Parts: sequence; C-alpha cells; structure tokens
Amino acid sequence: MNYLRLFVVFFRVSLMGELAYRVNFFVQLFQSFLSLGLSLIGLAVIFSFTNTLGGWRPDEVLALVGVYFLVGGMISLIIQPGMQELIDSVRHGTLDFALTKPEDAQFIISISRVEIWSLIDILMGIGVLVFALVRMGERVGGWEAAIFILMLLAGGVIIYSFWLILAALSFWFVRVENILTVFQSMFEAGRWPISLYPGWLRYGLTFVIPVAFAVTVPAEALTGRLNWETLLIAVALAVVLFIGSRLFWRAGLRHYSGASA
Amino acid sequence: MKSPSIHVQNLRKVYTVSQQEAGTAAALGSLVHRHKIEIAAVDGISFDLAAGEMVGFLGPNGAGKTTTLKMLSGVLHPTTGEATVLGYIPWKREKPFLRQITLVMGQRNQLVWDIPALHSFELNRAIYRIPPDDYRYMLDQLTELLGLGPLLHKPVRNLSLGERMKCEIAAALLHRPSVVFLDEPTIGLDVTMQRRIRAFLTEYNQRFGATVLLTSHYMADVEALAKRIVVIHHGKLLFDGDLSVLVQKFTAHKTIEVQIGDCQADLNQYGEVLSCADGHFTLRVPKAETARVTERLLADLPVIDLTVEDPPIEEVIEMVFAQESP
Amino acid sequence: MRGLVELYTQQFKTTTAMMFQYRASLFIWMIGQVLEPLVYLVIWTIVSNGSGGSVGSYTTKEFAAYFIVLMLVNQVTYTWIMYDFEYRIREGTLSFALLKPVHPIHSDIADNLSSKLITLPIMIIIAVGLAVAFHASISPPLWAIGVFIPALLLAFLVRFLMEWTLAQAAFWTTRVSALNQTYFMMMLFLSGQMVPLVLLPYPVQIVATILPFRWMISFPVEILLGQHTPVEALEGLGIQVAWLIVGTILLRFVWRAGVRAYSAVGA
Repeated sequence: MNYLRLFVVFFRVSLMGELAYRVNFFVQLFQSFLSLGLSLIGLAVIFSFTNTLGGWRPDEVLALVGVYFLVGGMISLIIQPGMQELIDSVRHGTLDFALTKPEDAQFIISISRVEIWSLIDILMGIGVLVFALVRMGERVGGWEAAIFILMLLAGGVIIYSFWLILAALSFWFVRVENILTVFQSMFEAGRWPISLYPGWLRYGLTFVIPVAFAVTVPAEALTGRLNWETLLIAVALAVVLFIGSRLFWRAGLRHYSGASA
Repeated sequence: MKSPSIHVQNLRKVYTVSQQEAGTAAALGSLVHRHKIEIAAVDGISFDLAAGEMVGFLGPNGAGKTTTLKMLSGVLHPTTGEATVLGYIPWKREKPFLRQITLVMGQRNQLVWDIPALHSFELNRAIYRIPPDDYRYMLDQLTELLGLGPLLHKPVRNLSLGERMKCEIAAALLHRPSVVFLDEPTIGLDVTMQRRIRAFLTEYNQRFGATVLLTSHYMADVEALAKRIVVIHHGKLLFDGDLSVLVQKFTAHKTIEVQIGDCQADLNQYGEVLSCADGHFTLRVPKAETARVTERLLADLPVIDLTVEDPPIEEVIEMVFAQESP
Repeated sequence: MRGLVELYTQQFKTTTAMMFQYRASLFIWMIGQVLEPLVYLVIWTIVSNGSGGSVGSYTTKEFAAYFIVLMLVNQVTYTWIMYDFEYRIREGTLSFALLKPVHPIHSDIADNLSSKLITLPIMIIIAVGLAVAFHASISPPLWAIGVFIPALLLAFLVRFLMEWTLAQAAFWTTRVSALNQTYFMMMLFLSGQMVPLVLLPYPVQIVATILPFRWMISFPVEILLGQHTPVEALEGLGIQVAWLIVGTILLRFVWRAGVRAYSAVGA
C-alpha cells in the first residue's frame, strides 16, 4: 500500500513539473495525432489493395492499432522514463541517492519519472479501440474485458521486466541508450499482427523481444483469437520475467557496489 | 562509555580497472584480451566516531575519501574489512539504517530539476515516512537556519549553485538523520556561501546531536568545523586526531614573528630569516629550540612585539602529503 | 585540404577504436536497422501474394528487392546526430567542439562514415540472406549501377546536412525529441520506407517529390531497381545537388544563429 502512496506522490510531483511547461501538452497532442494519422493512412493504403491482411480484417487491424497506442502510451508514460532515469543515474552517480533511501531502490527508480502527457496516447488508443470494436459489432462481455485487462497487465509486466533488464545493462556497459532507441523500432513491429511474420521473426518478437505479448495478445483477447495456452504462457512469462529481471537488477547492483570484487 | 556511532576496521576497497592502449590494433586486441590492473582505493583503514562527533575527512583527490564515505553510507561494498554505523552493517542497506542516515554530495543533486524544491521535499517526506508534525518542525528549523524562505518556491533550475546546495542539504536532513555524510558539500561555492554552510552544519550538529563525517579539500572547512580530523592518502590512514596534534606531529618548525626597530639587525644567528618588512622579522626555528631562541631574542634585542606561531594548516597538510608520496 | 584529410584519418582511427568498445550496442542498433524495412517487406509480401502476386507496378519479388535495397540505402545514409546534438548541448560538451579551429561537422561526418564501414559488411551479408529468403529479383541496366553510386552519395550528404541542421534546434529548445519524432514520422512516410512512393495516391507523390525526403532514401533505391530512364535519373541527380546546395546554405545560416544563441545564454 505504501508503494501506491509513493507512486501517487511521485505522480503528483511529475504533474506539477509538467504543468510548468504547458506547451508540452500541445506538442504531445500534435505528435499523437500525427502518429495516429500516419498509422491510419498506412492502413488505408494497404487496405486499398487488399481486403484482409493475413486473416485480419481492417477493423481488427484497427483494434490492434488501438491496443498498440494504448500499450505504447503506457510504456512512454512510466516504463521508459523510469528506465531512462536508471541509465542516467548510473552514469551521473546519482543512483547513490536512491540507494540511500529507506525504500526499495528499484521501485524508487522505476516511478521517479513520469511522462504525464503520454496519457494522450493512452486515451487515443482507447478511443480507436472502442471505435473499432463498435464497427466490428463485436459484443465485448465482462469476461472478455477481464481477460483483455489481464493480458494487458501481463504484457505491461513483461515489457517492464524486459526494459529493466536492458537498462540494468548500464551497470556493466557505459552506453546503453542505443538499446532503448532500438527497442522503439522493434516495438513498431507490434503495429501489425505478429502472425504475419515468418516463423523465426515471430518467435523473436514473442520471446526475444516480447512485443507480441504486449500488443498482439491483448488484441487477440478482444478479437476472439486468444486460446488458453497463450493466456497461460503470457501469465507465466510475466511472472518469470518479473522475477528474472529482479534478480538481474540485484546482480547489477552488486556489480555497482562491488560486492563481487 | 557510549558505543561508537561509526566503527571502521581494516576497510579495504579494490577496483579492477581494464586498460586499453591507443590505436586500432590495440582496440582489436582488447576484443580478445583485456589488460586488467587492481587499484586499492581504500587500503585498510580503521577509525571510530562517537555519537554526536563531527569529523573532517581530509586528503587530496583520489585519496579514497569518497569511496570510504560511500562504503559507510551503504552504496559500496568493501572488498574486505568491516564497518558498522549505528550498529548496522551499512552495505546491507537495511531500512531502519537508511532511515537514520543521509548522504549529501556537493557535485550531484537529487532535487527534481524543473520544479520548486518544496516538491522534492514532499517526495522525501513520503519516502522517509516523516510524520506531518515532524516534517513541519524540521522544515521550519531548516528554513530558519539556512534562510530558505523565498528559495523553496522557485524551480530548482533557477537557483544559483549556492542556493541549490542549501536546498540539497535541507532535503537530505528533513528526516532528521542521526548520521550525516557529506561529500565536498562546499565545492564550487563562494567564500560567503561556504561560511554560511559551515555555520549551518555546526549548528545542526549541536542542535540535533548528529554524528557528522564530511570530506573536503578546503582546509577552511575542516578547520572551522571539525576539531578532529582523519587524513588519508593513497587509501591509507595517515593521521587521526586533533588538528593541533597534527600540526605538532608533522611540523618540525615554528615561526617566530618579532618586531624590532628596523631591518638592519642580522638575526641569522637565531634562526632562518624568512622575511623582514618594516622591522617585522619572520624567523623559522626548529620546534625544540623555540623556547630557547625566544628567550635569547628577548634578552638580546629591543623587542617591541613577539609571537610564536604554527605554520598555516595548508602548509602542514602539504608537508604531510609530500612526506608520504611514493 | 591536407589538414582535413588528416582530420578525417585521425577521426576514423579514434572512431574505429570507439566502435569496437561499443560493439554490443552497435550490433543491437543494427537489429533495428534491419527490422523496420523487414516488417514492411513482410506486410507488402502478404498483400501482394493475397492479390495475385503484384500490387500496382510491383511484383512480390520487386517488393523484396525494393525493401532490401532500401535497407542498405538507409544504413548508408542514416545519422544519429539529432540525438547526439541534444546530448552535447545538455551535457555542455559542445563548448569543447566550439573551441576547436575546425567546423564540428567534419568530425561528425568522419565519425558517421567510419561506423558504417564497420557495420556495412555485416549489413550486406544480412541483405543477401534476406534476398535469398524472399526471392528478391533485381535486374538494373548497367548504367543504373553507375548512377546509383553518386545518387547514394548525394543522398547521404543531403540527409546528413538536413539532419545536422535540424539538430541545431537543440540550441533553442529543450523539446527536440518532439521535433525529431515528427521528422522521423514524415520521413517514414514520405521517403518510401513504409511503402514505395508510386503506390501512394498521386497528390501524396507530388508532395514527396517536392520535399527532400525522397531524395535522401527512395531515389537511389528507385535507380537501382531500374525504374527510371537515363534522363529521369539525371534530373533526379540534379534535384539532389540542388538540395545539397540548399542544405549547405541552410546549415551555415542556422549554425551561426545557433552558436550565437548558445553563447548568449553562456552555457
């Protein structure tokens, strides 16, 4: 519970910081619209030549785009800024401050930066998603919604853990910003149904870089494509990765503080 | 006798550094094999601090001051040796321990850059779970002692270096830590601001009975703040004790200032004449002979004024380091 | 001029040593460089196969060739200067560069080229692998290969100048990441990275031709795929040269103003 309280305090502080730059709101708004616009134009171009993309109908791909924006928004709202903070604070030596705080350092670092205006992406994603679902005429019952949210959470945990592992590499290597930038371009691959890709790439985007679990799987939950196997794997992977990343973080910290020396 | 607040025994920290020679061939070579060397940043030091004591940690750059401080605040693990702070082993980073200490680094800041410092204070209040009454009390105290009033509501990025440091220190002390580690708290500040921070630290130490360990390479800091100093160099402890004892121990000479009529007299028979201006001689004499020379001077010459002084502290320290350099 | 050659050689040596230090991140960066065109290659392959083996003027095999060549062209022309510049200004390291008696763009170009010389061989191997996997077909006339080289070089220079100029925005604003993202989105769409430009609606094609993006990536690809007549190719080279001139003028102007702004705040 204390974690939640701390999160609220950090969130409030970030909000106040952001309100100092109100321009950022409009910048983000413009960017989000541009990005969504280009996505939609891309879809329009593709679907002007075909009716279905690997078995996905236009509205279903649209729903996927909604989930993509929703998840992307979540990442840039909290996950990415926190991991950026981790990398920066290792380089600048300000990690020491987090380490001398009487709270879990991983938690403190993870929530220490919040990009408030990414909420725009999240809202936009939800909007597109709802629009697509209405057009599909699909009835989303409480059960599907619950599964969807569960998958979204699992995906969030998977992505967070994955990023933590990447960012914690900065305990050993000087320059890891590249990795974060590249993750962005890999995440782009999630705009499209993972099932389109050739086997090795699909495998890579599922287990090496877990984009599939973040975007495709939740979208599958809503478009009635999800099977129990995938659901269980997603939950299991979330748990395993979370624990694994925690261990990795601890190893990094040991390296940082020189316990192994 | 009270148990010591900080106890350090044979603390050692060895870093492994990989080296790379210049040039492409060497770069390629380093893919296969990296040349590694070990450097002992802290090489077996021991000391104790009583509760409420304020001690200056002295040494040139790279002496191992910061490394020691980081080990004591739990950021770094030592390679060997032991230390306890308030009875805790620092690098276990137990929450009750962390709640009672703080770390201030003069060259890094923990305040959130874009917003007023007060918001960062709020963050620390939440992190340290400071009860509202205690928080208000400490905030009032710190605001008064440091003169924070108008600074609290300005975005941190708009503060001057000195103002920011004051806020940094305040943020670090809100939870009323009983052990305070300060790493170069006055670095880069102007003389007035340095004095201000020093006065505050003394006041804080007395008012709240906190144990304070600070590093600095400004002699004035240490002279003003700490009666006791710990000098380290190349990771080894050179001296631990009163500042005055250090001077005693490391200086073989004293200077005698003597005022007579003019500069005509030849005082070389009494000691080494360093300078003379308007009849004001500065003599350097071996410590053991100080009393005898003074006596002779007073007997032989029409002395107007005479004082015996230790050489300035900077010189002493310089001498200490010069003696110990390999 | 000799000094410049010396500078480039020296910079090349340092960067090579540096790149080996950062080999891990360099490799990961390359994954990104491959993945993006690959995604669109997959999408268009599916679309093309689904509609009888071709879309517009593109057959499935030509799509493969298009995106694989595009991947290589992108690899040769990309820069990271927009991120780097912001970092330099934020961390204050630009001040050192300003003290040196050479324009900082030279060390950036040398930096960029040397990192590519290291990564390009690997990229070519990947490209060949992909070409086999996706049955890419390409049969450019001989003269087109000759034109491809200058077109690629010009594309690199135009993109470098443009992005170097845009990077100067960091002198005035701390929100360059928004600008960068906007730029990259435009780039993605209008340089042919998402879809071959000829498949876009006609008005969009015109916009793409007017703006510089096409000339930074798409044009060399089009040349190598043999989509232009010799006259069109020469016209294209002419437009690239024009952009090069515009870019140079722009860069000089913006750089001077930027340095003035930078020194005014005394950073």
